Amino acid sequence: MKKKEKKPNFSKSHKLYVRRLRRDKFIVIFFRIFVLVAFLGLWELLTYYKVLDPFFVSSPSRIIKQIGTMASNGTLFSHSWITLYETLIGFGIATALGYLIAVLLWWNEKVRKIFEPYIVVLNSLPKIALGPVIILWVGAGTNAIVLMCVLICIVITTMSMLSAFLSVEEGKILLLKSMNANKFQILFKLVLPSTMPEFISVLKINVGMSWVGSIMGEYLTSKAGLGYLIVYGGQIFKIDLVMAATVILCILAFAMYYFVSLLEKHYGTSRGKG
Amino acid sequence: MENLLSFSQVNYFYQTKKDEIFALNNINFDIEEESFSSIVGPSGCGKTTILSLTAGLLKPSSGKIVLDGEEQIDSKKIGYMFQRDHLFNWRSVWKNITLGIEIQKPQNKEEKLAFAEELLKKYDLIGFKNKKPTALSGGMRQRVALIRTLAMEPKLLLLDEPFSALDYQTRLSVCDDVYDIIKTEKKTAMLVTHDISEALSMSDKIVVLSSRPATVKDTLKLSLQGETPLKKREDPEFSSLFDYLWRQLSNEEKGKET
Ligand SMILES: Nc1ncnc2c1ncn2[C@@H]1O[C@H](COP(=O)(O)OP(=O)(O)OP(=O)(O)O)[C@@H](O)[C@H]1O
Ligand SMILES: [Mg+2]
Repeated sequence: MKKKEKKPNFSKSHKLYVRRLRRDKFIVIFFRIFVLVAFLGLWELLTYYKVLDPFFVSSPSRIIKQIGTMASNGTLFSHSWITLYETLIGFGIATALGYLIAVLLWWNEKVRKIFEPYIVVLNSLPKIALGPVIILWVGAGTNAIVLMCVLICIVITTMSMLSAFLSVEEGKILLLKSMNANKFQILFKLVLPSTMPEFISVLKINVGMSWVGSIMGEYLTSKAGLGYLIVYGGQIFKIDLVMAATVILCILAFAMYYFVSLLEKHYGTSRGKG
Repeated sequence: MENLLSFSQVNYFYQTKKDEIFALNNINFDIEEESFSSIVGPSGCGKTTILSLTAGLLKPSSGKIVLDGEEQIDSKKIGYMFQRDHLFNWRSVWKNITLGIEIQKPQNKEEKLAFAEELLKKYDLIGFKNKKPTALSGGMRQRVALIRTLAMEPKLLLLDEPFSALDYQTRLSVCDDVYDIIKTEKKTAMLVTHDISEALSMSDKIVVLSSRPATVKDTLKLSLQGETPLKKREDPEFSSLFDYLWRQLSNEEKGKET
């Protein structure tokens, strides 16, 4: 980004340097693709010549065919949408609520001290253990899945953001206090903006965690969705279906991660604590 | 000239869980309007505590602090410049400089903004107005921090070792700059420093503190000749004063160890 600003009349050594950078980048990308192609090719060959049984391990061509059929009868879209929907809602609620709780705990030291041990316990609790309770409380279905997703993301959001808030430099707070700033101003002018990098890394963690949450929720209770397809495919020994759902899952999760990293680039310039 | 600030019989204790730290012991001194005073003393003796009390960030355990004729400290009259510049890297230089105005929301906001802009122009930083502080050198950052302090037009500037993060060369020139800015803007300033020659070259008055709990050991009135701090260092009296202060301070440091 910065390179574009400058005029391209650099010295020879710089040209060489840039050329080497480009070459290194090319090598990385080349081998990245090579690994994928080699893996898929080997998989396809081994199953084609029946070294591996495609009934158990499926194969790239069978996965593509499976996705093709699902795309043509519309189930691809409907199942993906259901899981994506659950994930996005869970992600949104968990991030917003977790952030808000962190702000409240930052605001009031007493409240923070009171809740500290509970948060630690909640964090180490494997949330899946709450599955049956969740279903009892909110019933089977989308609500339970979203709730599972929220539970998985929220504690880590609160903990990470709170520790970021608390590590804001004391001297900067003193500076604002010497300007007669009130607590609201300290929060909005200093604490929140200076912890933007931490917030973005929490978003990144939550992208991964929210998919774990929604798939786990679907394992627990569901009539549709990618997690449902995976469980269902496993039960009727249709490994192609399991693999196809997994591939779609990968693509969706990656897309979501990509959007968050775009956000990071946008705020990347304002990163850093001075 | 009138006194802008006076400490009379000020004591201060820090409270911690384990014990009480006696930081200031019966501190008395006056700061005249438009003067430049320095506070020197061994490390950990209570210099920053004096500034924090003046800024109203702490309340004296006993005694009286009068700022501009009032016992209730009005923080709008104070501009506090810290050892580190504490510029916010996510804000532009301009947004950093106007931070105080943004927070205090004064009625004459437009005037203050215009004044801030003028300061930027006057002190050669206008070209960096929309840049992020990361694009500045250490000396420039310190000047921006000073302008941020001046932009609120405080009556009294508190400077807590503002140059200690700079290398020696930069330090000398930033010292000159800051001195010049403060004199041009006709401000009263109180500087905390470890550096005896810095204190001598900048001040009209030096308050010497003992080790903790700090008491005022000596108050020196200075009249060294020279336009700038750098020139003042060439005054013939400079070295004898330096020796005198150095001996006083090293006595204190020794006293602390035993
Ligand atoms: N918040 C605090 N709680 C407890 N004790 C403190 C606190 N702040 C300072 N002190 C103690 O009070 C004494 C004076 O501190 P102060 O920061 O005023 O010293 P100083 O002269 O500015 O030191 P330095 O030269 O290192 O900047 C020190 O011994 C310090 O340990
Ligand atoms: Mg100090």
